[in-house]
Amino acid sequence: MGDERASGAGPGRKRYRIQWRALLRAVHRDTGYAAVGLTFVYAISGIAVNHIPAWDPNFTNTTATRELGAPVPDDDEEAKSLVLSRLGIRDAPKEAYREGDRLEILFEHRTLHVTVATGHVVDEEQNPRFFIRAANWLHLNRGKKGWTYFADAYAAGLLALATSGLFMISGRKGLFGRGIFFVTAGAAVPLVYLALVRS
Amino acid sequence: MKPSHADHEVFIPSMQRRTFLRALTAGTFVMALGGGAYVLADSEEERRARATLRPDGRPRLPPGQYLLKRLRPMGGDPGDPSPGNWRLRVYGEVGSPFTLDLAGLLAMPQVEQECDVHCVTKWSVLGAHFKGVRVADLAARANVRTTAHHVVFEAAHGYTSNLLLREALAPSTLVTHELDGAPLARAHGAPVRALAPDLYFWKSAKWLTGIRFTADDEPGYWETRGYHNHADPWKEERYG
Repeated sequence: MGDERASGAGPGRKRYRIQWRALLRAVHRDTGYAAVGLTFVYAISGIAVNHIPAWDPNFTNTTATRELGAPVPDDDEEAKSLVLSRLGIRDAPKEAYREGDRLEILFEHRTLHVTVATGHVVDEEQNPRFFIRAANWLHLNRGKKGWTYFADAYAAGLLALATSGLFMISGRKGLFGRGIFFVTAGAAVPLVYLALVRS
Repeated sequence: MKPSHADHEVFIPSMQRRTFLRALTAGTFVMALGGGAYVLADSEEERRARATLRPDGRPRLPPGQYLLKRLRPMGGDPGDPSPGNWRLRVYGEVGSPFTLDLAGLLAMPQVEQECDVHCVTKWSVLGAHFKGVRVADLAARANVRTTAHHVVFEAAHGYTSNLLLREALAPSTLVTHELDGAPLARAHGAPVRALAPDLYFWKSAKWLTGIRFTADDEPGYWETRGYHNHADPWKEERYG
């Protein structure tokens, strides 16, 4: 009895065996849940920014030309009132700036470029795309400061997801079954692309 | 006979996966072909632009570029579009640093030029019409020292781009406030942006706030993020 206790193999002492694959599955599952929000943010922003030559992922931009049908008065306040009333604009402008033959009337997301002598107006609007602009702002880390820590934590989470995903299943569908095919194919895509592009 | 729960688990999902993978492979193949066709597509106008030579002997359309009709806004963190608030600081390796407001910029000799614009994302626009002031004129007013060899365009929110002094002083390099006969749109960097048409367009900083002359090269925002330090479209200097 005394010998058994000394060796640590006695019935009074319970031995625990770590279930590695179960642990990896739990890590993979819960990290995956936690990563859903940021994955949507980064993926949607990634697609949006990838296609930036085809569209402005942050703003909707519109331009229209309008005619006042008369020259604009010399006094800035009168000019502003005339332009706004003729164009039916009720918002209060932030600024009116006159330089030579041009008067610019600025709103939060809109600028009226007025040619004083002719009353020709270029009406330009730029409105932010609410969700995608915010996603792009986070994705491109425009804010710096604290967001860097969250972005780093998310990147570490993705590494944990990838690593735990490799080993969480054994057998025919595990890494050394079909897994090796997909891992090789996934790794080959950037390598082949680089080889083709750089050659 | 109803299939058992085990039938569902083993048989049906494996068929769905196989079908999915087949569809994925076919879809990738079709997309790749489509992409190839897109790249190979070349309009008559593009062929003409490639065949036409500039006065310096280079083709009007640089390699790897395709044509667009109008400039596309390419993002960036917008600066203050207010013409009344706008200021340009010209400083660094100069004898007489100064700050300009928009009225001051408009009072300087104005240049109107038609030039081609080339974006690193492969689109080009031919014959865009810009109006503005030559950087060379601003440099002359600032009395640039002989120790200056580089120029940094500074813009809203800390954006910068770097140029060789000789390229910044080229006659076509402007501080511009008009595009195609109209004041610059907000999306294009209103009220004032830089224009260096013989380099990829990221060098032409929007929402320009400063021109700094430097003795040493100081790679800018994109140049420190993997883009090429020089950005010559005819050498396809896209990435570092």
